Amino acid sequence: MHSNQLFPNFEFNTVLFENDFKGIFAELFLVYSILLLLVYGVILSTSKEKKYPLLIGNIGWLGLLSLFLTFILLIKNPYSHGLIFYNTLIIDQETQFFKIIALGGSFFSILISLDYMKKEGLNGFEIIILTLLSTSSILFLISSADFISMYLAIEFQSLCFYVMAGSKRDSEFSTEAGLKYFLLGAFSSGLLLFGCSLIYGFTGITSFTELGKLFTPGGQEVVTGLYSLRGCELGMIFILVGLLFKLTAVPFHMYAPDVYEGAPTSITAFFSITPKISILAVFIRIFFEGFYDLMIDWQTILIFSSLASMILGAVAALSQNKIKRLLAYSSIGHVGYLLVGLCCGTIEGIQGLLIYLVVYVLMTINIFGIILFPLRREFINSVQRIKYTTDLGMMAKTNPVVAFTLTVSMFSIAGIPPLAGFYSKAFLFFAALSSNLYLLAVIGVLTSVVSCFYYIRVVKIMYFENPKNWLSFSQIPKESSLVVGISFFFILFFVFYPSPLYLATHKVALFLSL
Amino acid sequence: MVEYVSVFIYFIIGLSLALIILGLSFVFATRKADPEKISAYECGFDPFDDARSRFDVQFYLVAILFIIFDLEVTFLFPWALTLNKVGFFGFWSMMAFLAILTIGFVYEWRKGALDWS
Repeated sequence: MHSNQLFPNFEFNTVLFENDFKGIFAELFLVYSILLLLVYGVILSTSKEKKYPLLIGNIGWLGLLSLFLTFILLIKNPYSHGLIFYNTLIIDQETQFFKIIALGGSFFSILISLDYMKKEGLNGFEIIILTLLSTSSILFLISSADFISMYLAIEFQSLCFYVMAGSKRDSEFSTEAGLKYFLLGAFSSGLLLFGCSLIYGFTGITSFTELGKLFTPGGQEVVTGLYSLRGCELGMIFILVGLLFKLTAVPFHMYAPDVYEGAPTSITAFFSITPKISILAVFIRIFFEGFYDLMIDWQTILIFSSLASMILGAVAALSQNKIKRLLAYSSIGHVGYLLVGLCCGTIEGIQGLLIYLVVYVLMTINIFGIILFPLRREFINSVQRIKYTTDLGMMAKTNPVVAFTLTVSMFSIAGIPPLAGFYSKAFLFFAALSSNLYLLAVIGVLTSVVSCFYYIRVVKIMYFENPKNWLSFSQIPKESSLVVGISFFFILFFVFYPSPLYLATHKVALFLSL
Repeated sequence: MVEYVSVFIYFIIGLSLALIILGLSFVFATRKADPEKISAYECGFDPFDDARSRFDVQFYLVAILFIIFDLEVTFLFPWALTLNKVGFFGFWSMMAFLAILTIGFVYEWRKGALDWS
């Protein structure tokens, strides 16, 4: 919009960005409140007069408050469409939708992990600060409309994640998880950056919308020759691989189970909920705006990756007996289902993806809310955690309501009919069928049948298995009981009133394809 | 770029001069090594124990802080040169950057990362 030609005596000035700041008001508020919380936390926690208080709870609640206020600012912002800051950031209905899910996801994942962090002795309030920082980077990533802002936001987000994964310093697993995540994350960022630089080198463009204009059938021959079109395709493939790495899609999934298992469970909950939201948002933005006309190239890769993720997610999780590893493989499988929506390249595909994402986020919150419960092992008087699937044994006797909730969400995530998970999956498969991707739909249905086995095994353990050493669960913290309850009702009663979600997602999908 | 040729020549001359001075001592000095002479010097005593020791994490902290503030300076250079062009907006943008950095500094100060006890 603004360029040197428009302003011959080019001078920066505040008037230039006057309205741009209104577009990112929520993000600005979040960043400022994080900085404030950081200073408040560090000054109070190192003060001798106050006897070095542990601030994890205090900062946690204040962080939740700031997330809530950010949410209010976001949904009440009248400035809802536009390209701002020299076309580096974009705000529209898609960003609004994804930002709402992302804020909700991180709000609920902090809420369910507060008690866990207190009891596990993860006393550094910095974890909350890092969670909030990565949330703000997710918001920026969702609205990025340029390779530079995208890369910066991805790095900001990943850097927070590396630290969070390794945050439990006295645990070897956590350190290993942090290191693995860091190395593979840095590698994938390198791939992504190389792709971006190839695209920039061959076209001289970093903006997604301009790239989209360039690749339209008329523009392809005029602006770029055949040779540089091949170069662009190569760059696009590197970007695709980088993003698939970040999404933990097969064959770039190697680190995910180790990271999920090694990191503290509260952090794992956060990892399995929020990064997917932001990466999928930017995925849609790049490939449906910038590279839509090169769809033949990226569709094949996505179909392969989606098939492989679904199959591996179903097969590898069969032999897992640790619950976090099981959920990690399950989330790889779900990434496969989510990619089905992207493969279609149609309105229904995007809509299916969005519905699936919302339902998946809520189901994951529900499951992790339960896994984060403290429990006590008989004869051992310390707080223990659910580690193996067998630890859930006889939960139906000791905590029948919790067991029932977990059963429902396991059935839902497996895709059993009257629950939310079934409808989200069905919608995706219908979308795949309507764009002639029969193989994807068939394999998707088959793998979801296979994955039923291990989801239902968890249910079987809870109801029918007699473990040798009994576990009694201590009282559920109030906050996570609320979160689990809300998501439980959503999963159970989604069938009676699905239209708001369908309408909202349809609006976003329609808006994207205009 | 041309002005860097003289720097390159200067680098070559400096390197060769250093090599010459180092080499001369090999050529002219008398060398008679014996076990006493080449053993490790620990104030005249024999070494007490294993040479390996714990490494203070403080050194890493200082190195990381150096990298961070070094980066800050690289951002400050172009800003300082173009301050008359970028006007008040550029000035306040850099102040925002510095403010965020200062908050990081306050954090590390209160955490005691700069204490050498």
